[in-house]
Amino acid sequence: MHRAHRRLLIPAAVAASIALAFTGCTASNFGGDNGGGGDATEEGPIKIGAVLDITGVGANLGVPEQNTLNMLAEQLNEEGGINGREVELIIEDNQSTEDGAARATTQLIENDEVDLIIGASRTGPSLAMRPLVEAAQVPTISVAANAAIVDGSEWVFKTAQNDVVVIERILDHAEEQGYTKVALARDATGFGEGIAELITELGAERGITLTATEAFEPSATDFTAQMTNLRAADADFVIIWGITPSAGLAQAAYVQIGVGKPVYQSHGVANDAFFEAAGDAAEGVIAPMGRLLVADQLGDDDPQKEVIDRFIADYTEAYDTPPSSFAGHAYDAWKIGVAAIEEAGTDPEALRDAIEATSDFVGISGVFTMTPENHSGLTADALIMAIAEGGRWNLLEE
Amino acid sequence: MTDFLQLTAAGLSQGSVYALLAVGLIATYTVRHVVNIAQGDYATLAGLGSISLVSAGLPLPVAILIALVTVTLASVIIERLVISRVKNLTTLVSIILTLGVSTLLQAIMLLTWGAEARRLPAFPGSDLNLGGVSIRSQELWMLGALVVVGGGVLLFYEKTRWGKALRASAEQPVAARIVGISPAAASIIAFAIAGFVGAAAGVVSSPIYLSIWSGGLLLGLKGFVAAVLGGLYSFRAAIVGALLLGVLESYVAGYVASGWKDAVAFFILIIVLIIRPAGLVLRPNAVRV
Repeated sequence: MHRAHRRLLIPAAVAASIALAFTGCTASNFGGDNGGGGDATEEGPIKIGAVLDITGVGANLGVPEQNTLNMLAEQLNEEGGINGREVELIIEDNQSTEDGAARATTQLIENDEVDLIIGASRTGPSLAMRPLVEAAQVPTISVAANAAIVDGSEWVFKTAQNDVVVIERILDHAEEQGYTKVALARDATGFGEGIAELITELGAERGITLTATEAFEPSATDFTAQMTNLRAADADFVIIWGITPSAGLAQAAYVQIGVGKPVYQSHGVANDAFFEAAGDAAEGVIAPMGRLLVADQLGDDDPQKEVIDRFIADYTEAYDTPPSSFAGHAYDAWKIGVAAIEEAGTDPEALRDAIEATSDFVGISGVFTMTPENHSGLTADALIMAIAEGGRWNLLEE
Repeated sequence: MTDFLQLTAAGLSQGSVYALLAVGLIATYTVRHVVNIAQGDYATLAGLGSISLVSAGLPLPVAILIALVTVTLASVIIERLVISRVKNLTTLVSIILTLGVSTLLQAIMLLTWGAEARRLPAFPGSDLNLGGVSIRSQELWMLGALVVVGGGVLLFYEKTRWGKALRASAEQPVAARIVGISPAAASIIAFAIAGFVGAAAGVVSSPIYLSIWSGGLLLGLKGFVAAVLGGLYSFRAAIVGALLLGVLESYVAGYVASGWKDAVAFFILIIVLIIRPAGLVLRPNAVRV
């Protein structure tokens, strides 16, 4: 027994010293950086950092976002960068966690001294980043949905459509069908935060009452419990509010227990991965989303068509798979950020003001017009209603 | 009542996955006193492997067969390369070692298959509806896999001379060697069994729960809780414990809050270790956790 202890002591000691050495290194690096350069760096590469949910529950979002940013950074540098300066893209994986996002953000701000941050993919990690970038005064463009990310923010912007307008579109559609009672299953993390309250508030104007709310973890695999409770709620229709794969698995569980009421989902399922997770159960689901996934069904007069078509062609050529809406959120964040740097340079205040002055920018998720009060920039026009048919999203005729 | 039965059905099918993993854990623990943290990763490895083979155009049964054989071999290779190299292997050292193996397997899976969850096509069969309780055919496959594979391992260990010899080699290594049982062979067989049942759990559950590179650890830990309920010795008690755990999780998610679901297993683990270390085993013997 004693020998076993001693044997363990050696690796433990080694591990401890490695850990110490690491902390030491970071500290000395940090000091060195401070001593070396000043903060006005108008030469050398422009540094853009990204904090994305590349592994973990947000992988279906973060991976295409990472692909998009890598592709766009390469394109930009081939064309000569921004005003002759090369752009260095530094992508950090927050492992779909809040603390991971906070750590990565601190790393980008303090060690890499980035000029602009993009991210995070989901609401929770984005909210964890907000106080850090606000304090450090680094312009940041989130690619997540919940309006709380930019509510009253000074330095944070976002490119995904607001949850409020998504819910309005769903409730408008449900009202037209004559539905009056809704049951909700929502993501238990930041993305689903406040959704029940919004439905209650916006539903009241339309004569729709919320009869039951269930929550699910995005990492969950079995949803029978929540769906059984929704069945007991006896509503006219159901809203499942989450991201893939969990929202897709929830969909499959709902169809399995055989309630047969219509289901609406959020723009969190605007990708092909939804069909992988939900299987045949996806059929007939209605969800508001951007135009990207139904690009082939848009009229030629659609202002976004040209931008979307080119993005799909570029992305498909680079990665052999079509982009998801989340790739589109990253595209918009990158293009808005780069356009602002082109105009204002990397001085934080000037850059922030330039992003805030974005006007009629035609992107993938919609046409953006930011203002000091509106750091989200999209209206309800950015959304179309799509229906799941035969393993893809189709434009719903309204 | 319908809701109660629906939750029970979902819990039983989830529990059958835990049960298979518990069987694998006990298979190696009784022979080598190894707690194999990588047991759950066998399941994800088999799930992801068979998904790739299916998308490469192989028929589902062939893909599954190849995945089962490959993961079984992988488990044996891990035994040869890692476990068998350590002299005086204690359970504690085995946990640290297999945690390393688990991390390595996860890294390989992340790099090979990417970060996104993927699904194996459902096995053939039609879904049932018994008085409002809906049961997917895949859930019957999962329970069936438990009966056939789990039951097979149980019978092998308890009824055959080979199986008894395996256990003997752990409890009386010197005596076992005298009567001609090689500890090395016993260890290889135990790890082959663990690899096979882990892989079986992975392929039957992938059509419902999906396969993702990081999924193995939590799955393996749930299996470990079930194995502890079996005193890390009794297959029967562990299987019963695993099914109870699945059902209990389902009730907690349905009647309390889904956020508590994953906590159930570890709450049970703590209670069992404090109050009744022999778990559900009715006649506890010398083997303790």
